[in-house]
Amino acid sequence: MPYSFPLGPYHPALEEPFKVKVQCRGEVIDSATVEVGFSFRGIELLAQKRNWVEVITLIERVCGICSNTHAMTFCMAAETIAGIEIPKRAAHIRTIIAELERLHSHLLWAGVGAEDIGFHSLFMEVFSLRELVMDTLEAISGNRVNYGMNCIGGVHRDIPDPMRYLPALDALSKGLAEIVIPTFTENPTALARTRGVGRLSREQAVEWAVVGPVARASGLDIDVRKDQPYLSYAALGFESVTRPEGDVLARVVVRALEMVESIRLIREALLSLPAGPLRATEGLPEIPVGEATIRTEAPRGEAFYYVASEGGATPARVKIRTPSFVNIPAIEAMVTGQPLADLSIIQASVDPCISCTDR
Amino acid sequence: MSADLAPRQLTEALQAIPGVRSVTDDNGALWVDAPLLEVEAMAATMADLGIRLGTVTAIPHAEDGEATVIYHYIDEHRVISVKTRTRNGALPSLAPTVRAASWAEREIRDLFAVEFPGHPNPVPLIRPEGIDTATLREAMCRPAAVARKPVSPLATYPARS
Repeated sequence: MPYSFPLGPYHPALEEPFKVKVQCRGEVIDSATVEVGFSFRGIELLAQKRNWVEVITLIERVCGICSNTHAMTFCMAAETIAGIEIPKRAAHIRTIIAELERLHSHLLWAGVGAEDIGFHSLFMEVFSLRELVMDTLEAISGNRVNYGMNCIGGVHRDIPDPMRYLPALDALSKGLAEIVIPTFTENPTALARTRGVGRLSREQAVEWAVVGPVARASGLDIDVRKDQPYLSYAALGFESVTRPEGDVLARVVVRALEMVESIRLIREALLSLPAGPLRATEGLPEIPVGEATIRTEAPRGEAFYYVASEGGATPARVKIRTPSFVNIPAIEAMVTGQPLADLSIIQASVDPCISCTDR
Repeated sequence: MSADLAPRQLTEALQAIPGVRSVTDDNGALWVDAPLLEVEAMAATMADLGIRLGTVTAIPHAEDGEATVIYHYIDEHRVISVKTRTRNGALPSLAPTVRAASWAEREIRDLFAVEFPGHPNPVPLIRPEGIDTATLREAMCRPAAVARKPVSPLATYPARS
C-alpha cells in the first residue's frame, strides 16, 4: 500500500531545514516534493535599505559556506556598473580565496556525504584535511567563515608571503590523492552506496536547468570559470571536470577532481601573484545609475546576481539566484524509482544549501 | 545546451520575438526591452536556440501595483535579460514548458503578488505560513530610510596586509 514519508524539515540527515516529502510503494520512491522557505530572511529587501558598504557585509551572510562568493559577486556587479577594473593583484587574491572556499565547501560536503552513508572514519579523515584549508583561510583573512576580503574596487587584505601557504597545499594534495579520492572511488562500502544511485541523465539535467557539479556529473560541460572567465581564471588556464554517468558517484568524483584543479589554481596564483595595488580606488567610488548581471562559479555552481543602481547611497535592487535554487528541485527527478534508504545520500549529493536558497 | 550563435544571429532572433522593442549590447550582456512582450513566444524562441532560463527578477512599482519582470536567459557565454512589465498584475506562466520558471514564478508570487496564470503548481514556495502574498512588496517600494553615505572605516583606511 502506498505511503508518504517526510524527510525534514528537521532531520539528522539534513544540515539545514528543508523538506523532501516522498510517496513510496514498498521500499521504492514513487514521487517526491521538495519544500523550502524555512530560513527566509528577506535579504534582497534588506539590501535595499543599507548603503553600498553595509550591503557587502549583509550579502556575505547569505550563506555560511560560500560567503565569499556572494560578497565577491555583489562587488563585481557594483564594479561593472561603475566601470571599475580591479588591479591584477586583487583579482589573483579574489581567485585564491574563491578556490580555497571551493576546497573547504567540497571537503565539507565529502565529510557530510561520508556521514550520510555511515562511513564515520572517512568523515574524520576528510574533516581533518578540511582544517588545513580553514587554517589557510584564517591565516590570510583572519576569519574562518565570513572572510571580509572584498570591497568595491578590490580586496581589503593582502597576501604578503604567498610561499607560506604552499606546504598546506602539498599536504592537502597528498591527503586527497592517498585517502579521500581512493576511498570514495575504490572502497566497496562507498561504491555500494553511490554507484548507479540517484541518476540524473543529461537530458534531465538540461530540462531541470541544473548547474555546477550536479550538471557536470551529468555530462554538461558548463562552468562559468571556463565559459565566461572572470578574475584570473583565463590567465591561470582553468580546465573543467565532467563525468557522463549522472549518479551520486559521478557527483563525488567531479567534486574530488575539482579539488585537485582548485589546488593547482591556488598554487599557480600564489606563485604568480602580481605586484601592485589592492584596490582600483581609494575609499568608496560613486555607483552611478545603471544595472548589471554577473555570474560566478560558486562551489555549488553558477551564482547569479542582478544589481540595479539609481545613483543613490543604496542599491535599487539586488536579485540573488543561488545555484542551490535551481539544483534542489532536481532532487525530485533523482529520487524517483530509488530505494527509500538512498534518499538521504541522494539529496545530500546535490550539496543543497538552504540558507542560500531561502535568502 | 546552446549552439554557439554569432552575436548578430542572436540579436536578430531576439528582435523577431513579438513585443520586443530594442536589443542592446552592454559589454557582452544583451538587454532586451519589451514592455508588451509575448512571454510564451520568448520561451519558444529561447528553447529553439537552446538557451536556458537562469532566473526571473521582479521589481515592484510603487505607483500602480504593477511590476517590472526581467527574464534572465543564459547561453553560457553571456546573459540575455528580457525586460517586460506585468499587465493587471499578471504575466502568463512559463512553468508548463520551462521547469526552471516554476520556482522563480512561485517566489515572485509570494514576495510581490505577481500572478502567473497557467502555473501548474501555484503553491507558496518561501512565503511563511499564515502570511499573505506580497510579503516584501510594500517594504520594497518604500524609499530606504537609512540612506546615509558609507561610514565604515574599511571604506576609507588603506588596505591591511
